[in-house]
Amino acid sequence: MTVEPGVAITGVGVVSAAVTGDSAALGAFLAAPSAPADAALGAGALAALVDPAEARRLSRVCHLTVAAARLALRESGVDPAAGLGLIVGTEFGDLGSTHAFADGFLARGPAGLSALLFPNTVMNTMVATTAIAVGAREMALTLNAPTVGGELAVARAAAAVASGRVPAVLAGGVDELDPVVEHELTRLGLGAECRGEGAAFVVLEPRAAARARGATVLGEVRAAAWRALPARPWGVGRARCSYAIDAALKAAGARPGDVGWVYASGSRDEARDRWEQAVLDAALGPAPPVSALGRLLGRHAGLGVLRVAAGAWTARSGLLPVVNGTTGVARVRPGRGLVHGLARGGAHVALLVDAA
Amino acid sequence: MKPVVVTGLGAVSPYGAGVVAYWKGLAAGVCTIRDLTLIETDGFRCRIGAEVPGPLAGSARRTRADRLAIAAAGEALEDAGLGARDRRAAALVVGAVGGGMLEAEAWYWRGGARPACLSAVRAMLPSAHAETLSSRFALGGPRHTVVTACSSGAVALAEAAELIADGVVDVALAGGVDAVTRICFMGFNALKLLDPVPCRPFDRERRGMSIGEGAGFMVLESRARARARGAHVYATLAGHGMTTDAFHVTAPEPDGDGMVRAMTAALRQAGAAPAEVRYANAHGTGTPQNDRIEGRALARVFGEGGLLVSSSKSMIGHTMAAAGSLEAIATVLALEHGVVPPTANLATPDPDVPFDCVPRVSRGVPLACAISNSFGFGGQNVTLLFRRGPA
Repeated sequence: MTVEPGVAITGVGVVSAAVTGDSAALGAFLAAPSAPADAALGAGALAALVDPAEARRLSRVCHLTVAAARLALRESGVDPAAGLGLIVGTEFGDLGSTHAFADGFLARGPAGLSALLFPNTVMNTMVATTAIAVGAREMALTLNAPTVGGELAVARAAAAVASGRVPAVLAGGVDELDPVVEHELTRLGLGAECRGEGAAFVVLEPRAAARARGATVLGEVRAAAWRALPARPWGVGRARCSYAIDAALKAAGARPGDVGWVYASGSRDEARDRWEQAVLDAALGPAPPVSALGRLLGRHAGLGVLRVAAGAWTARSGLLPVVNGTTGVARVRPGRGLVHGLARGGAHVALLVDAA
Repeated sequence: MKPVVVTGLGAVSPYGAGVVAYWKGLAAGVCTIRDLTLIETDGFRCRIGAEVPGPLAGSARRTRADRLAIAAAGEALEDAGLGARDRRAAALVVGAVGGGMLEAEAWYWRGGARPACLSAVRAMLPSAHAETLSSRFALGGPRHTVVTACSSGAVALAEAAELIADGVVDVALAGGVDAVTRICFMGFNALKLLDPVPCRPFDRERRGMSIGEGAGFMVLESRARARARGAHVYATLAGHGMTTDAFHVTAPEPDGDGMVRAMTAALRQAGAAPAEVRYANAHGTGTPQNDRIEGRALARVFGEGGLLVSSSKSMIGHTMAAAGSLEAIATVLALEHGVVPPTANLATPDPDVPFDCVPRVSRGVPLACAISNSFGFGGQNVTLLFRRGPA
């Protein structure tokens, strides 16, 4: 969908093992990227972000979500009372609480069931708790997608803002590392993929509204599209079609050559990564420089949103983190680039991001 | 914005497979809530629910919820007369909560022992249904899975309507699906929200809800496209409203403000006056709190006694993510047939719900405009407003 005359990014919030903070903190990290010592987020980083009394009522993944959402909202200066939507992408939701709920029953029968844990077994629990925490009272969605939930949330939010249905949207992604999932994926031979955890949010609003209230515009989403590529469930596709990229370019009136850089969703799932490269080649021809932060930070739904915020930084600075064996920063053409998501099963998302 | 119409319906409900069986059961006021057989219920206060009768169509290697979804989605596509070429660019929006949790639970209950199958990790996700459906029916347009708890199916329809209204696509398959799961059954038991006897929405003696399962899908398309190909138009999805209470993770906001905003937004988008709406297919769970607050919210928007209100959940239980879409189908069929399905098990109307809630027997009433309400944990409110025919 076209998002002209422009959807502005006015706030960024990231909570991850590698970087926690707003757009300035993210920019500092991207300018000198390095892998975190541990893919899991330490408890100390979380403790500083949410009031202890409130934190006690939140599961860990809800805690991550609320913290990142507040960081983004604070940077944007958007007033939720003026109308705020909330869209969160996730792959596994609050699976930790689901295990705990089931384990209570398995240990003690019906008497072991926790009425407090049950709501967390529903995947929209992060949205529910965050809506309460920040006062988001317009449309609120949880989008479930394997590996591209974050990109999808931003794309859907950009469409909502562009259509005028909601004045501003807090769009984010979140996942946490889950020992049962990690164990089973490894047992199924899928453990080579680099997984991580964290939450990231951006605040999107109409460019005109952002400027009218004097907000700093960190970047813009110029077009967003999501499609289903032919693939079996959880499989990789063979056709080199690129529906979402094609739709985004068309919506923006752009040509493949206008894309100066790409943030791809590469994450060491080699079959999927080869498929993504084929899709990018088919859509863009001679490949622009590609960054795959997933190889550095581990894949989780927050990463897709972090990559959108990183795209805004690259569009402004002309710098692109390079993660290919070694880490560093490359100079690229400032301005328009592509944030790309492609999941096993064919979920395909493309966002054209530009400087303000 | 492009007008959006309904051209295909598909349902698998506790009455069995197919829209015909679904409507026949609803119109006759048949309650399908009885002892659960799919899951263990020993030691629980409530042991009943509404299950889809077997045998299910499709491969037993698929999850139960996937099989429900495939059957309902296939019926909707066939009903709309969409061929392979039509489907190639069609959007797919699925509302889901439990995913393949029923099968994942069976694996987890065994201590996570082998055989570990990919479905134990992968197919338990709500998004698995959308992957299955787009692969099975070769749907290549925008695809996403929404999880808004008990309003998921209705949100899926609203999302698809927005994609069409905004010109992103001309046609979409959308709906919700859920199978009975242990987690859901145990959780609502733990919250003491289940009635040990079949639920009695809007009854003064109601004690809670009954769980159910099913799948409901619609084909939505732009009115222009439907007209151009001569498709039968059941109804126009003229308006919708999606709001959030931002109040509590399980309890609705006591004054029903979020519900009121959803209904008002749907009316506004449709350009409809409250008096035009003659029927509300209520969320109507049968919990004391929900029904009282929904009744209050309906009265604030439509005035006391201003319309007929009934609850499909009294007959098919609360089908979770499928509820919003199955009840939207009931609303569309009520418009189509001029018949309001009843609220089963309603013996003593609650004076706190100031409406004619159509007790036990369906009512023949010419209808031009009706709404379907769906509300979910986290205060996730959706109202869909339908007009009869192509409007």
